[in-house]
Amino acid sequence: MVDLSVRLGPLSLPNPVLSASGTYGHGLEMRHFSPPAHLAAWVSKTVTLRPRPGNPAPRIAETEAGMLNSIGLENKGVDAYVRDVLPQWRDVPTKVVTNIGAESLEDFVEMARRLDGEAAIHAFEVNLSCPNVQGGKLPFATDTKLAHDVIAAVRRATTKPIFAKLSPNVSRISDLAKAVEAGGADGITAVNTLLGMAVDWRTGRPGLATVQGGYSGPGIKPVALRCAWECAKAVSIPVIGCGGIRTADDALEFLVAGCTAVQIGTAAFADPAAPGRLAAEMAELLETRGITRLADIVGTICDGRAVVCAPGHGTGAPGHSSAHGTPAPAGKVPPREGSAD
Amino acid sequence: MLPPVPAPPPDARSQEAVVLDVRTCGSDGVVLAVEPLAPPPPIRASRFYMLRREDGLSPFIPRPYSIYRQFGSRLEFLVKVMGKGSRALAASRRGERLRLIGPLGNGWPTLDGEGAPWVMLAGGVGLAPFPMGVEQALAGMDGAAPCPADRLHLFFGAANAGQLYDLDRMVDLGVEVRTATMDGSQGRRGTVLDLLNDAWAEGRLPAEVRLLACGPERMLEAVERLADERGLEAHLSLETLMGCGVGICNGCPVPTRPEGALGHWPNAKCCVEGPVFRTADVRLAGSH
Ligand SMILES: Cc1cc2nc3c(=O)[nH]c(=O)nc-3n(C[C@H](O)[C@H](O)[C@H](O)COP(=O)(O)OP(=O)(O)OC[C@H]3O[C@@H](n4cnc5c(N)ncnc54)[C@H](O)[C@@H]3O)c2cc1C
Ligand SMILES: Cc1cc2nc3c(=O)[nH]c(=O)nc-3n(C[C@H](O)[C@H](O)[C@H](O)COP(=O)(O)O)c2cc1C
Ligand code: FES
Repeated sequence: MVDLSVRLGPLSLPNPVLSASGTYGHGLEMRHFSPPAHLAAWVSKTVTLRPRPGNPAPRIAETEAGMLNSIGLENKGVDAYVRDVLPQWRDVPTKVVTNIGAESLEDFVEMARRLDGEAAIHAFEVNLSCPNVQGGKLPFATDTKLAHDVIAAVRRATTKPIFAKLSPNVSRISDLAKAVEAGGADGITAVNTLLGMAVDWRTGRPGLATVQGGYSGPGIKPVALRCAWECAKAVSIPVIGCGGIRTADDALEFLVAGCTAVQIGTAAFADPAAPGRLAAEMAELLETRGITRLADIVGTICDGRAVVCAPGHGTGAPGHSSAHGTPAPAGKVPPREGSAD
Repeated sequence: MLPPVPAPPPDARSQEAVVLDVRTCGSDGVVLAVEPLAPPPPIRASRFYMLRREDGLSPFIPRPYSIYRQFGSRLEFLVKVMGKGSRALAASRRGERLRLIGPLGNGWPTLDGEGAPWVMLAGGVGLAPFPMGVEQALAGMDGAAPCPADRLHLFFGAANAGQLYDLDRMVDLGVEVRTATMDGSQGRRGTVLDLLNDAWAEGRLPAEVRLLACGPERMLEAVERLADERGLEAHLSLETLMGCGVGICNGCPVPTRPEGALGHWPNAKCCVEGPVFRTADVRLAGSH
């Protein structure tokens, strides 16, 4: 038996697998494909203060190794979410992360206040990084001060854990990671989609009605992995890896790079039962290597960093060190320079 | 308790299916026969599955296909070869395995024998949901009276004779089948709407008919206009782009009519609220 449990800031999770926002429904719609308990937490599609009808079609376009989307945060707004979706989560053996989105700091705060008292919600994921609103300009995801201020304001508006979802469309994601950590985030989700586009040269027609949109799927995995690794190096709060994860191997790569947990997004479109199988498949892989605790491999990448002593790993983050700070068992993973094991 | 948010049907599964055989059909199509690992229940016509090869040949996003024929656990899909996804499916060999997600969507309404005749308008590969629709109507659906054969009409149109897929088999269904081609290579020169207008002009059909249509967008828009003008009941089986087929990607919006049954929200999800919609409830892109 492999111990898959991890600590995601204040949350104790039985395994490190979460769904990604906007790719696995709002509530329990997918329970026939993935038993709720098989995912450590279900992340909602972004909820906004007011209903949003979303962008015109075509909203999706296939690309090599993935897809583009410009859904435009279609959702029925926070009132409908509280009324229709949250009651589904009563007595369900998994955690609920509500992803909140807004186009102003004030609306983010209002969202957090509105939902703070909802017992069904275990944490918020603050979507700073949707490329399909505000003209794709990503104001909150590209400006360290704005990102900090939004997280700090949401921090004051709720006692629930908050995870900041970052965008890969920046020069130095580590700066953003530090900014949201300073703002009081309990964790970071890295990353949202990459800005991309498609066009048919014969007709001149773009693949998406909005021309540009968000690129996701296996093709973005190297970029997402690098982003998550940079974040994990820069901060002491846990990082949830997201982007192109399809298999247990993919997920374990993100953990070794420093992530405490992972989210599975577009891969659910190719096989909607995949998210619910991922944790068990990770356990099987670890077993073949004789590893009995998944947390032991977190951050064990041979990149010259110390696992325990490096800044941001196992230092000063209460409850977090069990995942990041535990030395790897000798002989199970390659030795690292400067490791304090 | 069912979630009030649109959700995939509870009988849908994501599973592997074994390819039984692939036969060519028409000038640019194949009929792909598969057997899912878990035996499927009888599938309602005009429901669909998402299909994908998992050997790296298919694109990452699965493709939606209507159930064409079902013989016990043998499921057949009529696949028009268009791009990467359909090419990969058409190249499948006996014994290979595919990812099969479904059955999905709502399917045709109850094709009862009580009211006006049903006229099935099939455009090209839009034929796929009709043969089983005919069979199920003749057998009686949802406890309703079986539909007599003389109240079912299949009007089948295509660009040319090569796209009148399996026409020889359609005439065996036991209902009236009429054909039209744009190039006149088979049947009337023109469209399925011309066939309908002919039938009205010649008094072969009453003014009140109930329409079922599946085919290219322009054809469906024409059916929508006709239904609006004449106040006819019409059900369209729509083929939007689909990312997931199970309601989780929001990539398949169909604009709704504010006054219709789905008017509480500007878009319906084609995959979980359709693919069959009443023209009274939706408004096709380009028609407004
Ligand atoms: C519910 C449903 C049922 C369907 N049933 C059938 C069926 O029984 N038989 C069948 O042959 N096809 C059916 N389709 C259409 C089929 O899914 C598409 O033809 C297929 O996805 C094309 O994939 P491809 O990779 O071959 O082409 P791509 O490379 O993806 O596209 C090739 C060209 O086709 C266009 N295209 C792609 N998808 C669609 C679409 N859904 N509708 C119209 N044009 C499209 C693209 O814009 C492009 O120009 C159905 C679609 C839906 C939504
Ligand atoms: C169709 C679609 C819709 C999405 N909607 C949201 C959303 O509402 N909020 C959000 O934070 N991320 C959204 N995302 C981004 C995903 O959560 C994820 O960050 C991204 O797709 C990268 O992961 P993946 O490659 O595993 O899909 C969406 C992605 C897709 C493909
Ligand atoms: S195809 Fe994904 S929501 Fe309909």
